[in-house]
Amino acid sequence: MFSYRCMRLIIPRPSVSRPPCSCCFQPCLIPLGCCGCCSALRPRYKRLVDNIFPVNSEDGLVKSNMEKLTFYSLSSPDKLDRIGEYLYQKASKDINRKRYKFVEIAMEAMDNLLQACHAQTTLNLFVESFLRMVQKLLEDSNPNLQILATNSFVKFANINEDTPSYHRRYDFFISKFSSMCHGNNDNIELRDSIRLAGIKGVQGVIRKTVSDDLVENIWEKQHMEKIVPSLLFNMQFGVNVMFVKKNMLASGDLTPVEDATVVTPPVLAEEVLRELVGRASFGHIRSVLKPLLTHLDRHELWVPNTFAIHTFRIVMISIQPQYSYTVVETLMQHLDNNFKSSPKTRTSLAVVLSKIIAIAAGESVGPSALDIINNLLTHLRTSVSTTTEITPEESQYQEALINALGEFANHHPDYQKIEIMLFIMNTVPDLSKKSKGDQMLQNILLKSLLKVGTQYSTTSFEKAFPASFLQPLLKMARAPHDPTRIIVMQIFQSLLDRHQNEKVLSTVSIKPYAALSQETPSRSDIIFTHKYGANIMQALIDSMALSEKLDSLTSSYNTAALLIVEMACGETVQEFLLFILGIQQVATTSDDLSNIHKCCLHIIAIALLTLTARVTGINNLLEYAQKIIEDRKQEATYLLPPLLDSKKSNKSYNLNLPHLAIDKMALAECLQNAGMDFNRLQTGVPYALNQIDNPGHRHSWVESVSNHMTHRNSSADLTAYNADADSISSSPGVSKKALAPEYTVDAMKRYLAEPPESVKREQQEKQKQIVRAFRESDFEDLMKRTEPKHDVIQNRLNDLFNSLSIDNKTPQNAANQNEKPIYETNFPELFYY
Amino acid sequence: MEEYKFLFKIVLVGNAGVGKTCLVRRFTQGLFPPGQGATIGVDFMIKTVEVEGDKIKLQIWDTAGQERFRSITQSYYRSAHALILVYDISCQPTFDCLPDWLREIHEYANTKVLKILVGNKTDRDDREIPTQIGEEFAKQHDMYFLETSAKEAENVERLFYEIAAELIDQARSKDNSSSMNKNLSDSVGLSPQGSKPPQVSCCSGLSNQSSSQTGNT
Repeated sequence: MFSYRCMRLIIPRPSVSRPPCSCCFQPCLIPLGCCGCCSALRPRYKRLVDNIFPVNSEDGLVKSNMEKLTFYSLSSPDKLDRIGEYLYQKASKDINRKRYKFVEIAMEAMDNLLQACHAQTTLNLFVESFLRMVQKLLEDSNPNLQILATNSFVKFANINEDTPSYHRRYDFFISKFSSMCHGNNDNIELRDSIRLAGIKGVQGVIRKTVSDDLVENIWEKQHMEKIVPSLLFNMQFGVNVMFVKKNMLASGDLTPVEDATVVTPPVLAEEVLRELVGRASFGHIRSVLKPLLTHLDRHELWVPNTFAIHTFRIVMISIQPQYSYTVVETLMQHLDNNFKSSPKTRTSLAVVLSKIIAIAAGESVGPSALDIINNLLTHLRTSVSTTTEITPEESQYQEALINALGEFANHHPDYQKIEIMLFIMNTVPDLSKKSKGDQMLQNILLKSLLKVGTQYSTTSFEKAFPASFLQPLLKMARAPHDPTRIIVMQIFQSLLDRHQNEKVLSTVSIKPYAALSQETPSRSDIIFTHKYGANIMQALIDSMALSEKLDSLTSSYNTAALLIVEMACGETVQEFLLFILGIQQVATTSDDLSNIHKCCLHIIAIALLTLTARVTGINNLLEYAQKIIEDRKQEATYLLPPLLDSKKSNKSYNLNLPHLAIDKMALAECLQNAGMDFNRLQTGVPYALNQIDNPGHRHSWVESVSNHMTHRNSSADLTAYNADADSISSSPGVSKKALAPEYTVDAMKRYLAEPPESVKREQQEKQKQIVRAFRESDFEDLMKRTEPKHDVIQNRLNDLFNSLSIDNKTPQNAANQNEKPIYETNFPELFYY
Repeated sequence: MEEYKFLFKIVLVGNAGVGKTCLVRRFTQGLFPPGQGATIGVDFMIKTVEVEGDKIKLQIWDTAGQERFRSITQSYYRSAHALILVYDISCQPTFDCLPDWLREIHEYANTKVLKILVGNKTDRDDREIPTQIGEEFAKQHDMYFLETSAKEAENVERLFYEIAAELIDQARSKDNSSSMNKNLSDSVGLSPQGSKPPQVSCCSGLSNQSSSQTGNT
């Protein structure tokens, strides 16, 4: 009916019909006149469409008529689908007749309509024709049409449709665009533009489908397996070009003129990959990664791994950060699957892992972090257990894994590093296992531990060495296998060394270390020393006695020296002196050591003594050490650094030179002369070998002092009392140790449990006892006990007696009031119980 | 007009250099390009043929034979209605690889896919695989068999026409068995669900509709 109305209005115009009659389905046998008549009968939309085509295809779209068509389709949107269909039909015919210009015009018209009408609700049907048109063009072998179609498709992809389209499928487009990405035209320029078009098309499909849940699931395997390799294929080409360029730049063959405006397929492909990965949700990551890994496998892009690293970096950077962990996990799984491939491939994989793991580290916390660590350790373990002989490639692989571990740990906060170290420590096989494989594994795992350890920056020893970590580590320090021990020493060094002295102290010397930087140990360091220092030193003595090899001894020395630099101070010096004496004692008493070894131990002892004296700044001690050194210079230079190499020298040395040895009493005297506490030194036993069986803190200061306390008449009590009576701050020269006679764990527990009344009573009781001790024992006896008389001591004794004679109730109360804050400041760790 | 009754997807697979691309070019363009370079990734061609008066559109995906492209080429198997497995009759290794190809096809393609074994290059004098061997192999693995020469244009047309005819038969029998579904497009049940050719579903339906509408107006 519509067409009848039209007939009235329209007078046939010659321009309406183009020479080869396009208005009807018959071939052009019909005379022109009839054609004109025909056109009058045609529906309006058809005439409008016909009018947009020029007579001469070179003239391009007839703009004014296009506006009319647009206006028409906007005013009667119900006709939109028919217009689309008609345009499609026309274009199909033009394609068949190879009149490509007209096809272009038709496509342009469709683009315009799409842009103009995208708000219309009937757009859906029009889109069908539009997409069929695009497909039609893509199916043609003419590359220009394909590119044209892609451009239209991209325009369409950028339109947000309001109405969902359930039935629309993009299969063909994905397939075709992927195919275009691999375009291989002989003409390089054309090839690149086809590839670019392909990539753009893929991008379009991604944009169109990702945001809309109702259409095709782009993440499905069959799509991703086309899209991802197509992108990578283009990217890998770019990396090659990049590298050639870089090399050429380096060699000066190419001037660095970067044309940033020209988008090349690699650049665009990379961009699309970023977009794709960025849009992937958790469930979809794997469907991107799997084809990615397959592609890298297939194209053998692991060795060399430049491209793999490049790609994974891109993935890691563009992925939503909360999922980055999945990438690491997937890559690790891939490593799992590749356990049979060449070590080179695995190394490359591990290197890639180490490069990206850092990016993931920030996001993975808690269990997932340990999961990754565990996975890496498992790989290390399989690597060790499957190889009977370590080839350079295999060890490179292990290195790469360890590096990955280190990288990963490096990006965790320090508290997590400790956790990681603990975790690794727990996986190290026991010393009881002595097979070669286990030993290798021990080494490897300790190496990884070292790697993590070097990333850790120690602030407080207490945090760096939790008991559960320290104990096994100390056990490992006694490993019979030299390299293992050296690694353990290195771990200690890296954790102990807060002031970068490790290098400085790597040689045994009695001369002052010029570059040594130090800081007075903090309160908590001292507490740590009191708690665990003895255990560490014990382990060090044992390790020193285990081997006479230079590197092993040097590393033990290095650790001991660091320990001294970090921890020695007036309050802990006695412990270190006992340690040094212990080393010497091992040298003199152990029969099964070689002479060279014994010499070395003597050398270490004197070197450590000098170091201790310098670090603590006790001049008396330094003078004494220097005196010994002078004497040794005269009589036995072999007892002075450098260490003797057992391989080079086999002279027999006279070691029976007691006057050249460090004397315990003399040390005590030095301390005494310096006005320091020396009781521990005087009464304590030097460290000896193999005391590991004696549990816990054999030399722990807390215990030893409380032991002293039980001997009521030891002079430690005196100082204790003195310090107690005076306020703590008034006796700076006196060791503050004295304050804590009763503050063992048990005592604290009791203290907390008991009402303050009873505590008070107990203290008074104790004081009474002390007083009684002094009152009742002989004066001679007392004199004898305080034999090494000195002005300071005597004065103090005088003070003491004075204070005893006065009724001590008043100062006592004052002390009581002060009590609490004193523990709190001095023994914060005791309050943990 | 551009109407077609069926759309079939045909994928060519086989070792590098057996002449897949030449077969396709011969069929779609009537050319035999000497010195055809190796295909990269996947190539696409289209050809409409007429079988028993019906227009049939063939989408032909020509895959690269090179190992490194295997991952992308495999992704095209899935939606194929027919797979043409090509070997070179003058090259034993290409024949020896057939079991591997079958494994791949089995793994990635639809189970009901039509498989055709093609021994190409019959024009060559240095034949290594006798026709009989190829035939037996095909029989063993439930495949159609044909020997072709892209160079001499021997059996090339026949190959694609027979595939088309066979696929039509399959589609029709499917159609009959599920007579409730009159729509032809749905009857092309060779593709797994979710990847049936959109062209058929929308084009044939729509174009029929629209042509009738144009007729009405």
